[in-house]
Amino acid sequence: MTKAYISGTGCISPQNSIDGEWFFDTINPAKGDFFDALEPSYKEYIAPNLLRRMGRAIKMGVAAANLAINQAEAKKVDAIITGTGLGCFEDSERFLLAMLDNDEQFLTPTSFIQSTHNTVGSQIALIMKCHDYNFTYVHRGFSFESTLQDAMMLFEEGKDTILVGGIEEHTPNFVILNRRAGKFQNQNTAIPIWKSTTEGIQMSEGASFFVLDKIKTEKSLARVDGIQTLYKPKTSQDILMKLHAFLKLHELSLADVDVTLMGFSGDVVFDEKLKELLPIIEKESTAASFKHLCGEYHTASAFAMWVATKLIEKQKLPKTVAISDKTPSKIKHVLIINQYLGINYSFTLLSQC
Amino acid sequence: MDALIEKLKGQIIEQLNLAEVKPEEINPDSPLFGEGLGLDSIDALELIVLLEKHYGIKIQDPKDGKTIFQSLRTMAEYIKAQGKS
Repeated sequence: MTKAYISGTGCISPQNSIDGEWFFDTINPAKGDFFDALEPSYKEYIAPNLLRRMGRAIKMGVAAANLAINQAEAKKVDAIITGTGLGCFEDSERFLLAMLDNDEQFLTPTSFIQSTHNTVGSQIALIMKCHDYNFTYVHRGFSFESTLQDAMMLFEEGKDTILVGGIEEHTPNFVILNRRAGKFQNQNTAIPIWKSTTEGIQMSEGASFFVLDKIKTEKSLARVDGIQTLYKPKTSQDILMKLHAFLKLHELSLADVDVTLMGFSGDVVFDEKLKELLPIIEKESTAASFKHLCGEYHTASAFAMWVATKLIEKQKLPKTVAISDKTPSKIKHVLIINQYLGINYSFTLLSQC
Repeated sequence: MDALIEKLKGQIIEQLNLAEVKPEEINPDSPLFGEGLGLDSIDALELIVLLEKHYGIKIQDPKDGKTIFQSLRTMAEYIKAQGKS
């Protein structure tokens, strides 16, 4: 079975994840009912003549990709695969608003050109002068998972190094409309996200990129063993059954998993099945959470993979991430169980290499 | 003419999102493309829209663009010649 070795990561999130030294010590809370990404000074990562045309999703994506490539010291990649639920939302909005405001006259090309979902992948390719495979998955809550599945298949076809990433941005209008639709909630910070009893999520944004290699190198930080997606599972027992089968495929049981990162979103309805699974996970493994750090968005699982890589690299589970009181003696295997709006579920298994 | 050039500087900076450029840094006689401001073909399309939106001028023949958008001064002269300043 094909594996992928992570040799570089880059992450822009509501936390200080862009700082290579940060390890979940100081945590930025949400701004009421949503999170904003903590964005760096992009001049350090992107040339000014390119920067002026880029929306926030593109800037976040290009900067995160840049960080990952630099850490991996990758001179070239054989493929660039991105995943996004909403794409370059800011430019789409700008273009559509200009159509409305100017009565469909005087439409400028820049925001239209930059509004497509694959703009991030194409900008990275232009900067890297990568004329090879370039693909963007827009599969809602499976967008990032699809990039990993594609990368695994490309490794089987002979590619050696692949850049994958998940990107999402929100805009003030997007926040206002979702708030009006009742999608958000102000989380009571006194209650952990996995104990929430109310409906609503904290919408967020961010970009996480990874350089994946087909073979282990001295740069390898962690290994992606496998990924599986589940669409609308009926019960938590269905999820558990599939999880046991997934782990068995990798010759593991739940007891072998040192840390299980669970995608609790804070919405009591969407989180119902994960809540039912939590006691089983806590009994066999050590449960942890990540959406109280990054919020909810289509590609939050990319942030989870960044967290998993850090845990394996540092061999430590910080209290700010843990759900269980247990402290794992080692972190050899990390499992991510994500859910998006109670529809898209996925398992991603990472291991020490 | 000078007032029109100053007005154009502000409009170009805004339309092309040249946040790093200050109006006084733009030489009205420097080339807009390649050297000078270093604009490219996408910017040319933005400038065509700018002329139409702010001055009601439609460039019928794209070949004319090369002369009109040579510099800020040639742009201003063209606007004035069209009686739209």
